[in-house]
Amino acid sequence: MEYLQIVFSFEALLTIAIGTIAGVAIGGMPGLTATMAVGLLVPFTYTMDPTMGLMLLGGIYCGAMYGGSIPAILLNTPGTPAAVATAIEGYPMSKQGRRALALKVSVTASFVGGMFSVFVLLMFAPFLAQQALKFGPAETFLLALMGLAGIISIADENSSLIKALIAGLIGMIIAVIGTDDMSGSLRYTMGMIELIDGIDFMPALIGLFSMIQMLELSGMRSHKIDTSMLEKSSKKEPMPKGISKHIALGSATGTVIGILPGEGATIAAFISYNFSKRISKTKELFGKGNPEGIAAAEAGNNGCVGGSLVPTLTLGIPGNSVAAALMGAFIIHGMIPGPELFNEYADRTYPFIISMFVANGVFLIVGLSFAPFLARIALIPPAIMVPVVSAFAILGSYALNNAVFDVYMMIAFAVGGLLLKKLGFSLEALILGLILGPIAEGGFTQGMIIGHGSPWIFVESSIAKGMWVIIFVLLIPPLLSYLKLIRGNAKQS
Amino acid sequence: MFIKSILTGVVVSLGLTTAGYAADYPTKTITIVVPSKAGGSTDRTARLFTELAEKNYEGFEFIIKNVPGSGGQKGFESISRAKADGYTIGLNFTPQLVAHVVSGRAKYTLDSFHVMGNVAQDPAIVAVPKDSKIMNMADLAAAAKASPLTVAVNGIGSDDFLAAKSFEALAGVEFNLLPTKGSTEQKAGVLGGHVDAAFMNLSQMIKQHNAGDARIIALLTDARDSHLPEMSTAKEQGYDVQMRATRGFIAPAGIDAAIQAQLDEMLSTIMASDEFQANAAKGNIFLLPQTGADYLSYLTGLQGETQAVFDKAPW
Repeated sequence: MEYLQIVFSFEALLTIAIGTIAGVAIGGMPGLTATMAVGLLVPFTYTMDPTMGLMLLGGIYCGAMYGGSIPAILLNTPGTPAAVATAIEGYPMSKQGRRALALKVSVTASFVGGMFSVFVLLMFAPFLAQQALKFGPAETFLLALMGLAGIISIADENSSLIKALIAGLIGMIIAVIGTDDMSGSLRYTMGMIELIDGIDFMPALIGLFSMIQMLELSGMRSHKIDTSMLEKSSKKEPMPKGISKHIALGSATGTVIGILPGEGATIAAFISYNFSKRISKTKELFGKGNPEGIAAAEAGNNGCVGGSLVPTLTLGIPGNSVAAALMGAFIIHGMIPGPELFNEYADRTYPFIISMFVANGVFLIVGLSFAPFLARIALIPPAIMVPVVSAFAILGSYALNNAVFDVYMMIAFAVGGLLLKKLGFSLEALILGLILGPIAEGGFTQGMIIGHGSPWIFVESSIAKGMWVIIFVLLIPPLLSYLKLIRGNAKQS
Repeated sequence: MFIKSILTGVVVSLGLTTAGYAADYPTKTITIVVPSKAGGSTDRTARLFTELAEKNYEGFEFIIKNVPGSGGQKGFESISRAKADGYTIGLNFTPQLVAHVVSGRAKYTLDSFHVMGNVAQDPAIVAVPKDSKIMNMADLAAAAKASPLTVAVNGIGSDDFLAAKSFEALAGVEFNLLPTKGSTEQKAGVLGGHVDAAFMNLSQMIKQHNAGDARIIALLTDARDSHLPEMSTAKEQGYDVQMRATRGFIAPAGIDAAIQAQLDEMLSTIMASDEFQANAAKGNIFLLPQTGADYLSYLTGLQGETQAVFDKAPW
């Protein structure tokens, strides 16, 4: 009860609201990420009251995870890699003038996913963290495979499956550049110190989506804005029927994946998206603006927020990079993750967890009430939009590591990506390969070492067996329908 | 609060201005290069220093520039390249500073720097899962002889890696070494029982050890540590393996002697203050104040040891 009093004091509520709204803005801008914002603010909270400081950072985390979906839907420029799946459905909806609905679905799904995961964190953290420990490198490899299965669902019936697979492979090949963690040797770094850590996926994300979108926008013949779209969007469209199923699916998937160690949110969003496509009654609409896809992906990536804090707070094993930065804030205030957080420091930890319920509420209110205004962002004339977004793209790339090299990298990805896009290759598949390739590689090589060179480790545990079943369920139906399609084409000719 | 800190600043600076320091320095903000990301332990060490330095020394302002990645190499190189005018100094951490020299990748040597002094340390430890039968270093050696043990180290060329390699040589065993990306993966491996043992640092495992989630079997230092006094060292157990991570301050070589002396003294004065020590304890930072000369001789020795390991098994 006293914890609630702490959270609902005026000062705390204001802190949470500021954090959350700042988080939404940060998540929405290309190049600014929650990891960066939390990392930069950790030292700042050093001088703050510990509980308030943590609430501020928690708000940023919750807000940023949702904020990434706004530009993804409106402009096809996902602010975080976890919002790429959202853009696949959200941008087509936006073009159809259904952007108000897309935003509404996204904020509602984010809210439900976030609330569910924080609830799980509050009630079951110690128990779940112990379960998550059973998840080893071999299982990490399988999780990455599961995420990569998303490449199949990105390729819809029209675009070529082969081209999507090739794009994914290009992404994984680019990810080979950098240090080989197993031997310490350098791969294709060409003597450049900037490449020792490999290619950062953020400049790639900014280049492939934000920058290309701006290039395409400025390359359009007609810059007339269809005002009929605005009229249509102002008409209230009700939430689609049956969407709650997809939100629930995404929330559960996101929370579970969030609890597992490793980069969670991107995998969670894509796996939730993929699941939702499999169970959907309107599969054919995926890729053309299906709100069900947005619901699953957004519930999935916000589900990661609470999930990722489960192992962070109980064991000191951060579930992803934002959680790792947050852990730094706990340590600065002498709160070393472990059982002490829940007894000795309970008067700070519990208010922090409860504050994230409030943070989810804040962005729900903000998102719903500002949706009609936000929707107008898409109507800003290209003459203003292109330079502003491009400037942010360059600033954002630079700010990641304070390195001009990343700006060049972003531009290189924009140029190369534009060529690939015009040739019909899927950039979503490329970025998925780039992000998940190294996770798969790390899990595979570490699994092989732990298994003393035997691949049996990848099927040994019951978790691994279960994951293989899911991977086959995700892969076989699309493969069958693809074969049917080829056979059908052969008969016609 | 704010006024109080200004007042303290004024009082302290009045006391200090009488000393004979280089005239008109500093006239602008001093950059501190932190070769790792914001919020990490090196970053926190730097911020502990700047907080008190700005408070106690009038006219001094610091800005922290994080240059993360490549095991600190990018950051170390940018310190070595910086103009030696006293407006850029930085932090280093070992053994990465010397490991990059040994592996031939660094564009600097120890001579590129003026070593200002060490601040913090983190003893190397050996940890095993809580239900492991391995209770001490002798058990570890015996088990490794019986069958190859999977042992997690934080990347190739790290302090963990070097410690594991010297234990291998000393005990005449060969581990099935598992390099990880960061201590988080090591921790997950030990807590989840996916590895047989891990060479890590004390601060990364002390809470888990105390909570009974994992077991530390030895400290790899010459004497016991006050943070875990009941824990015996590997040396006591008959295996003289010593390794620690250190974090100190360095500056580009060639800074004006008077300015450099002023900075060095500032560092040692702040490290000796009660407030600094209290803040460090709160932030889980283990202090090991060392003068520049002492620290330089440590670094030189460490470079020799690292070279020996590298020559046997280069990476």
